[in-house]
Amino acid sequence: MTDIMPPGLALKKVDERIMTLNVGPQHPGSGHMRIVVQIDGDYIVACDPDPGYVHRGEEKMAEYRNYITNVPHLERPVIHDSCNVLYPYVLGAEEILGIEVPERAKYVRVICSELNRCIYTMYWLAIYGIFLGHSTMFMWPAGDRELLIDLMEKVSGARVTHAHFIPGGVRNDLPANFEDVCLRQVNYFEKRIKEYAAVFYDNPILISRTQDTGVLSRENAIRYGTTGSVLRASGVDYDLRVKAPYDVYDELDVHTNVMKEGDSYARSKVPWLDMMESCNIIRQALQKMPKSGSVRTKLKPNPKTKGPATVYKRVESGRGSLGCYIVSDGKTEPYRVKMSVPSFRNLLAMPNLLIGEKLGNMPSVYWSLNYWPVEADR
Amino acid sequence: MGTATGIIRALNSGIKHLAIKRFTLRYPEEKLKFVGDGYQFDPSTGVGIAGLKGRHMLFHDHCTGCQLCSIACEGVAEAIAMVKVPEEQKQNKKSIMPQIDYGKCVFCGLCVDACPFYALYMTNDYELSSFTKEGLIYTPAQLAVKPYLTQDSEIQITDRGATHG
Repeated sequence: MTDIMPPGLALKKVDERIMTLNVGPQHPGSGHMRIVVQIDGDYIVACDPDPGYVHRGEEKMAEYRNYITNVPHLERPVIHDSCNVLYPYVLGAEEILGIEVPERAKYVRVICSELNRCIYTMYWLAIYGIFLGHSTMFMWPAGDRELLIDLMEKVSGARVTHAHFIPGGVRNDLPANFEDVCLRQVNYFEKRIKEYAAVFYDNPILISRTQDTGVLSRENAIRYGTTGSVLRASGVDYDLRVKAPYDVYDELDVHTNVMKEGDSYARSKVPWLDMMESCNIIRQALQKMPKSGSVRTKLKPNPKTKGPATVYKRVESGRGSLGCYIVSDGKTEPYRVKMSVPSFRNLLAMPNLLIGEKLGNMPSVYWSLNYWPVEADR
Repeated sequence: MGTATGIIRALNSGIKHLAIKRFTLRYPEEKLKFVGDGYQFDPSTGVGIAGLKGRHMLFHDHCTGCQLCSIACEGVAEAIAMVKVPEEQKQNKKSIMPQIDYGKCVFCGLCVDACPFYALYMTNDYELSSFTKEGLIYTPAQLAVKPYLTQDSEIQITDRGATHG
């Protein structure tokens, strides 16, 4: 590159021109995470994501607690998505403990899971807005999220860390008159998120900043093992709610949103389309749900297992497919709990997306990968 | 759509909000209303009753000092300690009752699920801040007091948007 520059501007050789920048570990918006980037002028030539600053040892902690007391701490990696992050563990624990789940509890779980997916996505969208300097897009999702947090608070009694799913069903039944309130607030929520099109998704400033940046092709998306909205934005129609339904998702009509572009714009739009689909699923579940019945199989505080067993369960979380592998040796505590988290899998695509991009495009590519640092480190 | 039209549409959708009531609530004066009197649990059916997971409430006449709440908390937060209660208070045979440290409690409510004697419930009281760490430790006598609450603000949805009425 030195050859094409005018004589006065050719400062140094390429090796001497390259500068290393540490982005993070502290930055506003998400958990701690460092990206070491090497830049040549304004262009990124190498990128090395460095996660691990918020490692909490959740998997090791799970080996010292029984199947019930594991519930409150296993939802900590993503507190905004706490129902979904707990879902595979609960499904696995039910198989190991050999308990049946009442039909109504399965529907309550689906409603909570979809509400949590929207709560997470709204938080993610708010951060995406502020990463791009769009203050309105920070305020609106952060405020409209309150509609759904209010619903989850009515159901579970907590605003973020619900601890609502438990092996055997859910902790408590829906409160009286919940169906009407839920329907009203979800309908209004859907109306509100449709307004985001004019202010954000059709905004020429956003389009010029995100279109054709960090393009992930269909082949590479499969090769890097990305999942969730990142995979669907690259044109792969893959959603566990359709491909491998769990609980009562096979009785519901779930439609997946796929975009072909694979750039930052597509990756930011697919979660927004998914939220509208979540509203549809909530309405269907409220309609099809049995009107009465138990929601929890009675279980002792320290339940006994049936014997040694291994089980792997996965669900579609707000970020993608989230798996939980549980090994039981017949004791009351699990022998090993391993979480396969979507955040870490999406992170693997980041170095390849950022090379050749301008440094100013880094926030839009980084956050569009739907990556949550605390979940990746867990 | 051209760049100018797009920007005007974006600005227009924001300007519309000048005519809409504010969504936020003025917190210390207005407080959110919750369902029920707090999270409760029915040991006979094994299912909880929906409500806010706030500060606990201990019914001294039901508590037998069995320590099941303390054992349930062991793997979660270790917030519950069993302490001796003074002679003049109502007490069980062992004369021990739970004391809860809200500096450690995560408000998961598993202690309520563990109580088989209808003695430990949760209430709608969530304002527990204190200037000292000792102020966060609630003794059995403090836990027996029913909190006085005025919470009446709910989300109202009208044609002109949502507000906390």
